[in-house]
Amino acid sequence: MLTVPKSRRAFLAAAAGGALGGVLPASLLHAQPNNGKTLTIVLPSNPITIDPINQLNHDAMVLGQTVFENLVEYDVDGVLKPQLAKALPVISADKKTYTFELRDDVTFHNGKKMTAEDVKYSFDYLLDPANKAARRSLFTRITKVTVLDPLKVQFELSEPYGPWLYFLTKYMGIYPAGSRKEHGDDYFKSKPAGVGTGFGVFEEWKPNDYISFRKNPNYWRKGLPHWDRLVVKMIPEDATRVAYLLTGQVDLISAPPPREFNRLKTMPGITGASRPTLGGALLMYTNNLKAPFDDVNFRKAVSAAIDRKTIGEKVYYGLLDPSSVPAPARGWWFNAEADKELGFDLAKATALLAKSKYATGAEFDLSIQAEPYLLDTKDAAIFVQAQLAKIGVKVNLKVYEFSVLIQQAIRGEHQAALQVFMSPGEPSYIMQVCLTPEQVLSKSTGYNNPEFNQTLATAFAETEESKLKELYGRLQALAARDAPIGVLGYVHASNLWRQAVQDVKVNQGLTIAPGEIKV
Amino acid sequence: MLRLVAGRIASSIGTLLFVGLALFALTRSGPGSPARIVLGAEATAEQIAQFEQAHGLDRPFLSQYAAWLGDVTHGDFGRSFVTGRDVASEIANALPVTLAIVAFAFLIALVFGIGIGVLAALKPGGAFDRISRFASVLGLSVPAFWLGIVLIRFLAVDLRLLPPGGYFPLSSGLSLHLQSILMPSLSLAVYYIAVLARMTQASLQETLRGDYVRTARAMGLSSRQVVFYALVNALPPVVNLAALSFGYMFGWALIIEQVFNIPGLSRALLNAISQRDFLLLQGIVFLFTAIFVFANLGADLINRMLDPRQRAAA
Repeated sequence: MLTVPKSRRAFLAAAAGGALGGVLPASLLHAQPNNGKTLTIVLPSNPITIDPINQLNHDAMVLGQTVFENLVEYDVDGVLKPQLAKALPVISADKKTYTFELRDDVTFHNGKKMTAEDVKYSFDYLLDPANKAARRSLFTRITKVTVLDPLKVQFELSEPYGPWLYFLTKYMGIYPAGSRKEHGDDYFKSKPAGVGTGFGVFEEWKPNDYISFRKNPNYWRKGLPHWDRLVVKMIPEDATRVAYLLTGQVDLISAPPPREFNRLKTMPGITGASRPTLGGALLMYTNNLKAPFDDVNFRKAVSAAIDRKTIGEKVYYGLLDPSSVPAPARGWWFNAEADKELGFDLAKATALLAKSKYATGAEFDLSIQAEPYLLDTKDAAIFVQAQLAKIGVKVNLKVYEFSVLIQQAIRGEHQAALQVFMSPGEPSYIMQVCLTPEQVLSKSTGYNNPEFNQTLATAFAETEESKLKELYGRLQALAARDAPIGVLGYVHASNLWRQAVQDVKVNQGLTIAPGEIKV
Repeated sequence: MLRLVAGRIASSIGTLLFVGLALFALTRSGPGSPARIVLGAEATAEQIAQFEQAHGLDRPFLSQYAAWLGDVTHGDFGRSFVTGRDVASEIANALPVTLAIVAFAFLIALVFGIGIGVLAALKPGGAFDRISRFASVLGLSVPAFWLGIVLIRFLAVDLRLLPPGGYFPLSSGLSLHLQSILMPSLSLAVYYIAVLARMTQASLQETLRGDYVRTARAMGLSSRQVVFYALVNALPPVVNLAALSFGYMFGWALIIEQVFNIPGLSRALLNAISQRDFLLLQGIVFLFTAIFVFANLGADLINRMLDPRQRAAA
């Protein structure tokens, strides 16, 4: 048997103690403590670009909107208001010409004053097909941008189309004339220093770790931002994101796990809030051109068999507002009658199924997304599967990554697919993209109804809210009659933050709005 | 010996070429295009086709592979068409992070795995042996990601002893560096401590039962000397297992880096997979394969040094 001399044992014990003492000093240093005025926020996903004309993901827009701004802003309260323009545009009587007067106190991060030439350059670049802007299709009705004077710019549209103003905040930004040629697209994608007007100046992007911004000292909204440095960390793991907040490594996190949200927001030192989004819908793309969704009674039976209230309350713990039509229940354009028509009623579902071609029951594949985006759709999918079984419809759940699932929906290869669709929050967007022809997601439903298309075109030319409400109401009534798409509800955006952080306003359209947060 | 090393290096290169080809086939046969990730859900078919043409994704498979292989031999892994960043420099930035965690985990696994195995083998059926058997079963059964979350919960959130995640390089100071890699490395090491402990114990017990050990004892060698010589003879299977473990650790680091929010190679790989970032994906997996292959080569060479019979056979 080995015998270790006592002195050696004592020596090893002392050495181990000393080493441990060196590793764990009393300071108990933590990674990146929040010193001074650094605001550290966390996103759940890894962005691939900051370029405002190629924004893909709801989370990543936080980055683009820190650097870039627009003529008008669709703000955190869902209100359209001027940003780089002095006021909302003057619109011609035929609704085809928009004239903006620009602020004269805006400079880019490179010190150059912003003028109408920069606005024209930015839009001309976006609209040039050669530049392959991901969101170009939203703005193709703009036929000409004219500089009227250094602080006045005019847009001409091929046909009346009011919604384009609402899309600017998410999908566009103003950059200096000539900057694209000077720096190249990769610069805008990964290190856009000097080319924006926003409250944050790009500082550094450390892949898979964080992106940081400095305060813009010359920001035109005096006194903002309240921080000196903004660090946006990417932490995909739910538990780790929460641990970072609880240990004070970060100030604010987005997308907390729904089942933990209510408990976490009441913990000492932590505050939290959620807010319904106007554009984040949990949709079930039902392919009207494929069996069994080729039968309107079957589609309506499926809609009536889904208990959205229970999904909202029990599956998503209040972070989903039920709605069965493509409009949020809290939106001014919501049609409650249409919602009721497609709402939960098991007896009605059974009767509708009996009237359909599939009276003896049916089976279909429901594609769902592997990675959660705002909410984990797998939870709802399992619930839907159980509910449809009650009326004799068998659902096979098929899990795919986002890129595969969206490709299926775009090509119309699916039978049904469940996904959180984050639109800009403007009323017509989802209806246009999913329910009218020649749109990117037209084949996700395959729906093409001339009456629906004409009503939407009429809405594009309208600006009065009362008339718009009637038009959007009519569109929802048509959606209730034909049930071309399944809608389960509208998601809430939610944030948790440390109590040391103040003036946090949960955004309706963005994951986090860091500009006005005080550290 | 030199001929052996040259032969093994040649076969390793062959393995790498085959893995490179298989990687190419697998990445390109899966559903989903990088163009859809880069251009978004609303990109038209025309935009997708333009993107694929611009990045050579429409070329025949073997032509893409030959071009990539040609570039790799010059140290050029290409530029990611998803992020636009240079793949070689992205790997160079992330590799030291993963290496620090894996190397520390490997060290922990070696010290504790072999140490526990030796102590358990010295007195079979004793209290330490029984405890170590139970601990080994526990170590083999506990998933690393779960252990990571538990460690974060208790050591970071409740006791505030360590940071919950993130990474600090050695240049930030030894203390900070060790704090940032302790929990990830421990989570990664626990399984391999158990594996190595079991293997060391079994191999050493087997060796201690040998006739020559009885002869050595009869000749009056001290217990410590006997155990030392027996251990040297018991080590070859442990060395082989350790080399395999070192390679596997890079794979498991994928989960550990995700749980601990560490910007290492494995996390870059996970993002590359979900973003269909073919070039980055190929670069990282190719590197992992090379590490695995050369770790095994290293194990063979160490075994030849430990075992005179293998030297004689060569």
